[in-house]
Amino acid sequence: MKLIKDKVAKLSFVALLITMTAAMFYTPTASAHGEKSQAAFMRMRTIHWFDMNWSKEEVAINDTMSISGKFHVFAGWPETVDKPEVSFLNVGIPGPVFIRAGSWIGGQLVPRSVSLELGETYDFKVLLRARRPGEWHVHSMMNVEGGGPIIGPGKWVTITGSMSEFTNPITTLTGETIDLEHYALDNVYFWHAIWYAIGVAWMVFWARRPMFIPRHIAMASGKADTLISSSDKKVGVAFLLGTVLLLGGAMGATNDKFPITTPLQAGLMRGIKWIETPAATVSVKVEDASYRVPGRAMQMTLTITNNGDSAVRLGEFNTASVRFLDADVLEDETGYPDDLLAEEGLTVSDNSPLAPGETRTIEVTASDAAWEVYRLADLIYDPDSRFAGLLFFFDEEGNRQMTMVDAPLIPVFI
Amino acid sequence: MSASQSAVRSRAEAVAVSRTFDWMILFTLFFVVLGGYHIHYMLTGGDWDFWADWKDRRLWVTVAPIVSITFPAAVQACLWWRYRLPIGATLCVLGLLLGEWINRYLNFWGWTYFPVNFCFPSQLIPGAIMLDVILMLGGSMTLTAVVGGLSWGLVFYPGNWPVIAPLHVPVEYNGMMFTLADLQGYHYVRTGTPEYIRMVEKGTLRTFGKDVAPVSAFFSGFVCIIIYFLWHFFGKWFAKTDFISDEDL
Repeated sequence: MKLIKDKVAKLSFVALLITMTAAMFYTPTASAHGEKSQAAFMRMRTIHWFDMNWSKEEVAINDTMSISGKFHVFAGWPETVDKPEVSFLNVGIPGPVFIRAGSWIGGQLVPRSVSLELGETYDFKVLLRARRPGEWHVHSMMNVEGGGPIIGPGKWVTITGSMSEFTNPITTLTGETIDLEHYALDNVYFWHAIWYAIGVAWMVFWARRPMFIPRHIAMASGKADTLISSSDKKVGVAFLLGTVLLLGGAMGATNDKFPITTPLQAGLMRGIKWIETPAATVSVKVEDASYRVPGRAMQMTLTITNNGDSAVRLGEFNTASVRFLDADVLEDETGYPDDLLAEEGLTVSDNSPLAPGETRTIEVTASDAAWEVYRLADLIYDPDSRFAGLLFFFDEEGNRQMTMVDAPLIPVFI
Repeated sequence: MSASQSAVRSRAEAVAVSRTFDWMILFTLFFVVLGGYHIHYMLTGGDWDFWADWKDRRLWVTVAPIVSITFPAAVQACLWWRYRLPIGATLCVLGLLLGEWINRYLNFWGWTYFPVNFCFPSQLIPGAIMLDVILMLGGSMTLTAVVGGLSWGLVFYPGNWPVIAPLHVPVEYNGMMFTLADLQGYHYVRTGTPEYIRMVEKGTLRTFGKDVAPVSAFFSGFVCIIIYFLWHFFGKWFAKTDFISDEDL
């Protein structure tokens, strides 16, 4: 019996070791960015991204692709987040798997931080050049000082090829063409190696003789003065002078080699152009709104007035980059990411064309698993229980109008 | 062998054991300092040391020496006042740079693929050698703090200029002027490090034209003097044996 017990114990131990070892080899790539963990109100009530387009889903190393679209800076910006007075158009990718070849807001190159106006809509474009092969989740992103990163929708993009083929040629204002990927790398290694060798030489000079115990005994017995000899001092002076001379020589040689240098460039860009849009002719009043927790659905009672000259229908509700569509009115043909698209997620109690001058109160339900998957349902735990989003109305000719909604939200738990 | 008997039987054996202790202590000290100093420098110097597009002529020159003179001052205090060894600063900086290079190469490049020419560490060895030699020649904490501390701040920029100068060559890109370092920062996407976090060319030092680096270096050197005193006392305090009771000795 004991023999069996011992064998079982041994085998169990071996099995445990194998399991632990196998677990160590299982290291899946973390390809996304925790975008679902960002507070729901941050995604619903700050920057609204729409008309998004990823120009390619597969791109070879060194080739380019772009993310473009529009973003609306929500006028009811939450009090708990700093206003976007200093913001930076970024992309959410796992490190430099692409290089950012260019980024524009309103046609203006924005390599630096920009100041955005609340309530305005901007168009943007980010040009990316593929650098590292793999399948990557590529998001638009706006960093806001005092607010953090506000992530936009993400789409999977595959980069093919080998990273060793990547080059980043740049022509400087001094007329030299360099590959920024490897530029001056030898110089970095050279100077660090030189100085490290000098440091090691100083250490070796002292470490080749008795160090701690004999010197401590000498110190304790009052013979400290004998521990530094005159030849030690001469060597020290040689190191000191050598260091000063090398510093001076290196500075001089560097200035000769690079006579034209400029300081790092920085600054805030103001006056970024927004899109001039005609005033919406459809007005929307939110009578009430609730989020039904068990049903994963948001219900709104809206009173809509059409002040325009053509009949309109509600086609889309967009919040936190999740698009709820009424399939009878709008079908997505842009290749928008499936997980963020509820193609039949918008139900309207009466979505017949709203005639010019007509006012109607309707029940609108936006339901989809995305409420849970994207953790938007967590907005009931936010410090300011409100929701916001974009409503898109369409007339018979396909013309679109955008209206913002922003109202308190009551959770329904039962 | 009783507890009162010596563990060695000859002078030669005693010397061999002493040398073994030397290497063991030096090895341990090197890696303990590497760990502590590395964490300290990452927390206080951080991005200024990580990225080429943070290494400006004002704040990097000012901040990096001030936060990096700490451990060298403390370890110097221990090794000098206990052993008369003028290697404290160099030991610290060699440890720090080894740790930094392991981090930059394996993590920044090997893990996240930032080019090494964008994320190399700052050079501190010239200042460390000067600090050690000044302590050895003068034998005075005050002299080392004043002359060595000032030198530590002053030689930081010249020690790094040969490495960063190529990255300060200007380039025109889509109608704007960048340095190559700026362009690296723009090209190699850092999701969590937006442009506005950079503390570049900020401050009110505007009356010296383009020659602000020497002024920043002098200011840094003056603060280094104070920080040297402070951390030298820390080192002296930590190197005391008051914590061990006489019975243990």
